Amino acid sequence: MEANTKAHAAPPPFMQRAPRRAVSPRILTDRSFRAALGLTAFFAVWQALTSLGLIDAFLLPSPVAVAGALWDMALDGSLWVHLGASLQRVAVGFALACVVGMALGLICGWWRGVADFVRPVVEALRPIPPLAWIPITILWFGLGDAASYFLVFLGAVFPAFVATYTAVRGLDRNQMNAALCLGATPWQLFTDVLIPASLPIILPGLRIALGVGWMCVVTAELIAAQTGLGYLIQQSRMLFQINNVVAGMVAIGLVGFAMSAVLERIERRVNAWAPSERN
Amino acid sequence: MAANTALKTPAPPPGSPQAQPADIQIDIRNLGKVYGGTSSDNMVVALDGVDLRIRRGEFISLLGPSGCGKSTLLGIVAGFQSASSGTLLQNGRPIVKPDPSRTVVFQDYALFGWMTVQQNVEFGLKAKGMAKKERAEIARSLIDMVRLTGFEEKYPHQISGGMKQRAAIARALAPDPDILLMDEPFGALDAQTRVLLQEEIARISSEAGKTVIFVTHGIDEAVFLADRVVVMSPRPGRVREEVAVPLPRPRTAEMRSDPWFVSTVNDLWETLKPEWQKGE
Repeated sequence: MEANTKAHAAPPPFMQRAPRRAVSPRILTDRSFRAALGLTAFFAVWQALTSLGLIDAFLLPSPVAVAGALWDMALDGSLWVHLGASLQRVAVGFALACVVGMALGLICGWWRGVADFVRPVVEALRPIPPLAWIPITILWFGLGDAASYFLVFLGAVFPAFVATYTAVRGLDRNQMNAALCLGATPWQLFTDVLIPASLPIILPGLRIALGVGWMCVVTAELIAAQTGLGYLIQQSRMLFQINNVVAGMVAIGLVGFAMSAVLERIERRVNAWAPSERN
Repeated sequence: MAANTALKTPAPPPGSPQAQPADIQIDIRNLGKVYGGTSSDNMVVALDGVDLRIRRGEFISLLGPSGCGKSTLLGIVAGFQSASSGTLLQNGRPIVKPDPSRTVVFQDYALFGWMTVQQNVEFGLKAKGMAKKERAEIARSLIDMVRLTGFEEKYPHQISGGMKQRAAIARALAPDPDILLMDEPFGALDAQTRVLLQEEIARISSEAGKTVIFVTHGIDEAVFLADRVVVMSPRPGRVREEVAVPLPRPRTAEMRSDPWFVSTVNDLWETLKPEWQKGE
């Protein structure tokens, strides 16, 4: 307190720069403004490259053309049908992955003996890319939604598992002991200590899992589906509708970006107490 | 010394109930703790033949250099780990697991970061299944006791180290334990805060009338707070000597300049110096 009043009375040299900083627009320091600026610049460069003829419009349509294609598909409803199908698939696959990945992660994190058996299996399955699973997935599930659920599940389950396992492994022994000596019941230990203490690691892991799942659903739809954004891209390619191909890609990118932004916001709120969320 | 006289008294016939005075709350006999493997080269003897009897309401300081097993002993009394040999009784019953009759204050506070001070203090009461209103009331009075009123809704990361430890003390007192176990509770605090909290704990422990086992490597802290200082020596950890502290309660700041206090702290330092140097 005292130091502050002194500083006001006779500003030391480093304080004298403060007024100049206030002159620069505050909006430039706003993070969402910077994000918007970055995206705008990206599309502006893209637009410039295409309208100046540096890139053949057949190889890469301009953002304006893509926006037009998106607009048309939004109006005739096909965009929403495909988007809805993709979202529904990713939701189911991701939910399954969360249940299985988190349960397995909890069990392995808690009982080291179990982890010794399970982790080698997980680590051997994890490097197999979802694309390599497609033939056997079609063999097992055919060309329906189930194949997409399974591929999303495969993509998302490993990040969910690894995050949960890491979180439970890293729990503070003293906090657990503190809870135990205060008489915590097993349920209280689980809901009031283990879960909240793990969330700062689990939630970012789930965000990554959802991102991978979103990529997997598109991959699945390219090959093993009759709807969805992946199918839209594939279909448009065969019809030489390059505008729609890129429009589909842009839709995938924007939706993925939005999902991750929403989850990040939730994380900030839930883990506000955690050191990782404070700078 | 105490161990020697104990050896001279005839051992009770096997199987007969141990005669013990009613006011012995914690009875530690010939306690040993060995860590690690099967062969003798990777075995670490953390505790060896520890004998200690603690009376109800007594304030015990466990004093010793790092590695003397004092924190291990506290962890065993808490029930976090089990002894390798010997017996450990609380009111005549063996200690097998943590229990709210023995709560712990940790050096790193171990507060639940996702809970407010109020929720932290209420944790042990919630575990008992106490109704919301009642536990809020008890927590508030404890928060008042440790002088944290006004900070009930703060999260641990929003308050200072000293305040965190006050909150942790209130949390440990909430289940109304018989025994308070403190594991170098002021070790992470700056010197001034430490002195203030020592006086606070002197006040609180005499107000609350708890049995306290206070682990520390600070000689003056150990003497200032305790009724009896139990000095431990390292490798293997064992009780080396016991010093009864005749200073009256409650302890106050001016007792630090009492001639007996000053000379006892000096004597302990002189006797402990060689071991401390070895440990460094």
